[in-house]
Amino acid sequence: MKFLINPSKFNEVADYVFLPVLISSIILFSIGLIFAFYLSPDDYQQGSTVRIMYVHVPSAWLALLTYAIMTLYSIAGLAFRIPFGFIINTAVAPIGAIFTLICIVSGSLWGKPMWGTWWVWDARLTSVAILFIIYLIIIFMNLSFENRILREKVVAIFILVGSANLPIVKFSVDWWNTLHQPATISKLSKPSIDPSMMTPLIIMTFAFIMIGIAIAILRIKTEIISRKSYLS
Amino acid sequence: MLILNKIISFYYREYKLNLSGFQDILTNIIFFFTSIFIFIFSIGPDKETISNIGIGIIWTLLLLSSTLSLRKFYQDDFESGNLLIMHLNGFSFGFIAILKTFSHFFFIQVPFLLSIPVACILLNITNDELIYLFSSFVIGSFILSCLGSISSSMNLMNQRNFLLGSVIVMIFSVPIIIFSVGIINHEESFNSLISILFGILLIVFAINPWASGLCIKLSLENN
Repeated sequence: MKFLINPSKFNEVADYVFLPVLISSIILFSIGLIFAFYLSPDDYQQGSTVRIMYVHVPSAWLALLTYAIMTLYSIAGLAFRIPFGFIINTAVAPIGAIFTLICIVSGSLWGKPMWGTWWVWDARLTSVAILFIIYLIIIFMNLSFENRILREKVVAIFILVGSANLPIVKFSVDWWNTLHQPATISKLSKPSIDPSMMTPLIIMTFAFIMIGIAIAILRIKTEIISRKSYLS
Repeated sequence: MLILNKIISFYYREYKLNLSGFQDILTNIIFFFTSIFIFIFSIGPDKETISNIGIGIIWTLLLLSSTLSLRKFYQDDFESGNLLIMHLNGFSFGFIAILKTFSHFFFIQVPFLLSIPVACILLNITNDELIYLFSSFVIGSFILSCLGSISSSMNLMNQRNFLLGSVIVMIFSVPIIIFSVGIINHEESFNSLISILFGILLIVFAINPWASGLCIKLSLENN
């Protein structure tokens, strides 16, 4: 597992892993989209618009997961002085921002036919919008400092402070009465979703994870190379 | 006793600095009142509407005008080298952050407390609501001071993008705005909402010395 904290080990592993991950993401995407469009049934209330779920839910999960990964690597970078954590922070932040943007846009496209409005000031929606702005602030902070050593540490501190938003996003549907529905799939109890809809959701989630890993590998490798040229 | 003497001389210095720059604080307050005028001109002078949304207007403008003074939080002391001298005198960076936060609260936020009743007259807010507004503002403004300390210490070495500090304060002040405006609109649940606000204050006050102390240390190291 050393490739998770060591840049040169990461480069070796990434060279092996990149092509399989990319191909599997393409295959999973095509299978998942076929499932989502043709093989899964319409919802009895929502009709065909329920298919937006197969994009909306995985991107929301991955937006949270990306921030959680950044939080862990910030702790690793600040507390255990592992510089690879800062590389991950810089590389992964735009990916998380794009996932959050996909989640917000698909959610409002789903909200218009179902709730009758593009946007409500609901606890879940607001906290996800704040998550998006936090991602944007992280990207802008990465761009606006000139001193690299200072910049990566300050960004890591900001990520740690901003991680207070993560549990609010996750539990907002349980703590407040929101228009957004509470979580249907949780680890502790049996999911209340039908298996015919569960299958494409799981496939699409893995497809999103694979495409996220593929882009992350590209960006992390670029970041490592740019730091090498910075040092020499 | 030595540390107490140092603290007293620190606050005496802050007092003299703020007294010589008193027109800055007055300009903040004038900004606050001018924006109230602009708000009223833009939504029309209807008495019902104004008293409905008055509390929200006051809180928004207090937040905006307290972010205006953030540039002066650490920047002057940082550029003149006084932060380093304080540290050499035996204050840890986290302790400097705590002292500075209290000083910002006393010299920048407390003048706003005195200007709130006048704003309430302008916006048709009753005396009962004024008491709730006061109690929420005393807690909320201290949270704003702590957040301002965090964001301005993060942006000490940021030479390009000054507005980022204000955005950081605003994004973290969302829960404060929600709960403090909620106090006035739901007076029956005053106790629970003020407890939540106080809880947020304790969390932020615990994070503040750690985060801003580390940021000041990093900025001084890499200057």
